[in-house]
Amino acid sequence: MSVLSLHDVTKNFGETEIIRGVSLNIERGEKHAIIGPNGAGKSTLFHLISGLYNVTGGSIKFKDKEIQNKKPYEISRLGLARSFQVTNIFARLNVFENVRCSLLWSSGYKYSFWHLLGRQKELNEKTLEVLEQIGLQDKKLTPAGELAYAHQRALELGIAIASGAEVIMLDEPVAGMSLTEAESAVELIHRITEGKTLIMVEHDMNIVFDVADRISVLVYGEVIACDKPENIRANTHVQEAYLGEVVTDA
Amino acid sequence: MTVIKKSTVWICYLLGLLALPQFFDSVLAISIFNQMAIAIVFALSYNMLLGQGGMLSFGHAVYFGLGGFLAVHALVMIEFEILSFSIIWIPLVGGFIGLLAALFIGTFSTHKAGTVFAMISLGIGELIAASSLIFVSFFGGEAGISGDRTFGPPFFGIEWFQNLEIYYLAVAWVFIATLFMYFFTLTPAGKMANAVRDNPERAEFIGYSARRVRYITFCAAGFFAGIAGGLFALNYEFITEENLNAATSGRVLLSAYIGGLGYFIGPIIGAVVLTLMNSLLSNYSDLWMLYLGIMFLLTVLFLPRGFAGFIMMHQMVWAHGKIKSLVLPYLITGVPSFIFVIASVGLIELSHTDEAEFYYLGLNFDSTTAIDFILISIAVLAALFCIRKSLPQLRAAWESANEISDDDEKEAQS
Repeated sequence: MSVLSLHDVTKNFGETEIIRGVSLNIERGEKHAIIGPNGAGKSTLFHLISGLYNVTGGSIKFKDKEIQNKKPYEISRLGLARSFQVTNIFARLNVFENVRCSLLWSSGYKYSFWHLLGRQKELNEKTLEVLEQIGLQDKKLTPAGELAYAHQRALELGIAIASGAEVIMLDEPVAGMSLTEAESAVELIHRITEGKTLIMVEHDMNIVFDVADRISVLVYGEVIACDKPENIRANTHVQEAYLGEVVTDA
Repeated sequence: MTVIKKSTVWICYLLGLLALPQFFDSVLAISIFNQMAIAIVFALSYNMLLGQGGMLSFGHAVYFGLGGFLAVHALVMIEFEILSFSIIWIPLVGGFIGLLAALFIGTFSTHKAGTVFAMISLGIGELIAASSLIFVSFFGGEAGISGDRTFGPPFFGIEWFQNLEIYYLAVAWVFIATLFMYFFTLTPAGKMANAVRDNPERAEFIGYSARRVRYITFCAAGFFAGIAGGLFALNYEFITEENLNAATSGRVLLSAYIGGLGYFIGPIIGAVVLTLMNSLLSNYSDLWMLYLGIMFLLTVLFLPRGFAGFIMMHQMVWAHGKIKSLVLPYLITGVPSFIFVIASVGLIELSHTDEAEFYYLGLNFDSTTAIDFILISIAVLAALFCIRKSLPQLRAAWESANEISDDDEKEAQS
């Protein structure tokens, strides 16, 4: 059963059509990668699904609810979490507080001003668990803005997964990392998305073929192929449009 | 690292407030303490907006003033026996009105932070200040309105004739308000206010409406500003348009900023410093506003995190016992800095005075000839020269003190 389905989604910025009729079904529990050349609209697609942008046309269904044009916080509350390509954290809060903040809503605290956070034992234990998962337990009191880049990326993931959302969208999670950093990041992604649905935009083909069960190729705002990794690799259209050069590079 | 227990800090805060009149008990001193108490609550409420919520307001006096006006009206109603309750609850009346005003204005002003919020706050501030001169029956025009706090049922025999009695009442309110504002920073709503300040976009992706978070902070800030307004009404027994205009809004911004926005204690420091300048310095010089302006400028330029930030900078050095190595360098730079300030003030005052003979620091200067100007100018320049010469050694000392701290840190970890 599809947990997320896009039907003929379009997005224009003024006259320019960025997304031109994308339809996509993401199954529960699958690891789905979206690849495509620069400017293909991958990030825009993420912004449409997660509510940052409104769609121009078409519909997006998440767990049988229409979510197109809903606010990001409404979509997040339904159980869809995402990370960002450009690190997007709470710079002046420390690492612990960053993660704890993203646990608040799903733990039911809402806008409470009558709970003292220090006394919420379960919440703080859960926060520590997430910190251990992302390997930042030693840095929990460091202001997020002062972390090293790779650690900030790990925190970025931590904020996305902390709420326990069943669908996690990662936008270029290893962008700008060194090879060894990327390796441990991939391991981290495997670990934290176990048993969950993952949608990922990524440029690094090795990582994509390593992680994904299915791959969609987005070119100029259209999905030209959506298939298993081995079929995508063999697809001549895809090679022409995008993969050819990358494969020969590697 | 020595960690002082939080409850100890709170008890010291309360005892300090209670003990102040034991050390200074003149009429002037009590009057200043009352102003301080009011300023502390007001500045802390402002910091909820700017420091914790990232909302730069140029119209926070609106909530202070409206709370104050209604509080005076309540005093009048108690006097005419329309209402009957002890005046100890008057600050709550102010707070309630501040909250109501914020509940209404917040619905449209908290939509965005940044420039939009700042401009709306400025507009609302001007609007209310202008209305206060138009709706004379409520605001009393330029003369304002006045009440009398000595009516109403006495509180355990206290009838509030003396300012000292009001001071102790104010201490109770200041302590409660401070405690609650501090607790607010530790709640989900308070922590999300920080998160929204840092990154409103991301806050929306973890389930929170940035607007709603700002609205809650805004209303809380309005409530506590209203409490400060109510304390003002009790202390002065009158209130005028001046208490809700842009000048008052500007002053609370200054005190929060000078004290240090990033720290809970910052606005308390700022409120104390500004009240002292306001009430003491103004006795000695007409130019105290100029000095306040210069101090604000210097704070923005050299201590962007305010006085509290300056103190907290030394936490690491202190924890590693290296503070001693800084005493001498601080003295070497501090003495010429002190002379520089004294001499500059002398020069400014000498230029300002219209009397031929001018007394300053027990010395007698002649403002009609150039010679005294030149002498003081030389002192200013000499002091400036010494500061410049001494700065590198201060910087080096600071760096070495912090470097060693880093090493200690590694040792402690390994």
